[in-house]
Amino acid sequence: MKEKVFNIRNLNLFYGDNQALKAIDMDIMSHEVTALIGPSGCGKSTFLRCLNRMNDLIDDVTIKGEVIYHDKDVYKKNFDVINLRTKVGMVFQKPNPFPMTIYDNIAYGPRCQGLKKKKALDEIVESSLKKAALWDEVKDRLKDSAFDLSGGQQQRLCIARAIAMEPEVILMDEPTSALDPIATLKIEELINDLKENYAIVIVTHSMQQAARISDQTAFFLLGELIEQNDTDIIFSNPKNKKTENYITGRFG
Amino acid sequence: MTYRTRFDQELEALKLSLIRMGDLVIKNIHASLKSFLDMNSELAEIQIKKDQEVNESEYKIEKECMRIILREQPVAKDLRLITSILKMITDLERIGDHAVDIAKLTVFMEKSNKAFFVDEIHHMVDKSEDMIKLALESFVNHDLDLANQVVQMDDIVDQDFYAIRQIVADAIRNRKIDADYAIYLMMVAKYLERIGDHAVNLAEWVIFSIAGKHVSD
Repeated sequence: MKEKVFNIRNLNLFYGDNQALKAIDMDIMSHEVTALIGPSGCGKSTFLRCLNRMNDLIDDVTIKGEVIYHDKDVYKKNFDVINLRTKVGMVFQKPNPFPMTIYDNIAYGPRCQGLKKKKALDEIVESSLKKAALWDEVKDRLKDSAFDLSGGQQQRLCIARAIAMEPEVILMDEPTSALDPIATLKIEELINDLKENYAIVIVTHSMQQAARISDQTAFFLLGELIEQNDTDIIFSNPKNKKTENYITGRFG
Repeated sequence: MTYRTRFDQELEALKLSLIRMGDLVIKNIHASLKSFLDMNSELAEIQIKKDQEVNESEYKIEKECMRIILREQPVAKDLRLITSILKMITDLERIGDHAVDIAKLTVFMEKSNKAFFVDEIHHMVDKSEDMIKLALESFVNHDLDLANQVVQMDDIVDQDFYAIRQIVADAIRNRKIDADYAIYLMMVAKYLERIGDHAVNLAEWVIFSIAGKHVSD
């Protein structure tokens, strides 16, 4: 059963005086992949980072509006940001494994939360790696450095690391742009599997990728959400001329 | 400003090929019907051979569409345009086949068969050809209203068909028509009626291409 995970209302974001997001309204549903598309600088990554308050780490940011996560505004005072970031995991453009073993990369989050029992950690490591479709490739080398893995494997490790925290939402910021086509397809297939259990929001510059893997597509332009709709509709019969111009490459 | 100049040129060339195929098919209908009405089997034989050109056009356009899909990965209006063209060339090819069917009847006819003239057949072929022309015109000009008009025009062609059927039936009853010729004439009328149906299909794909909604949706 799909349910609303995020309810974003009139979200505005400023970097100093520069408005990067303008009155964004959007719902993010569970068990769906939502793709954010648009030209560079349109605000899609900024929007993504609003969902787990990653923009807090940037100086001179002002945020107005509401990002409601299960009936609570994540920007209200005293909101538990640490808990938010465990529930809303993130995977970045470039794989960023920690400088430690494969096993420790996955166990890092649960350990930070106080889990010490080896058996429990073993189970989390195994199940997370299985869910990230990496277990069969690394089960015999869990004590090797994560840096020994290929780029595609490192990215799946980062996804496994996010999964280990039992999140509800996984945010992905161009997760395959640094990967070769085969590794990209593996991640895409993984995303399709993961939506059984999680809501996924993905920023991508590949229109074909958005068409292949997402259920909903949102088109951003100059900080505005121009159009959001079923992916099939966006790519076959978009309602807004700006969306059509962008996805057909007649944008200037 | 657009960064898809080459793609746009390819799409324009594709549209032009479709129009040329449409022109060819219209000419073939016209000549095939003339061969029937004039009982001119030589012209009919020429028309039967000309179908090869229509088939080649279909093949070339189909190949070009597949090449564009492969290289350009079209979406939105471009995807609808190419999908529509792929469907429209199938209808044009079928129309071409019906023109051949009419020419083949001419060849089957015996010299002893006595012609029986029905004015409505001229009206019917004119309307069928108009429907194809207007469907293609609506495609080129992105004219949704015109495409919708073509869909409505099918009723006129159908009315002609029923009128011819009535005239032929009366002529049979009054023994004014050669039995074989009556059968051939009704078959020609039926082929023209089918051509009208295919012209409606053309218009429906034009509507899909422009509005993103097919009549069957």
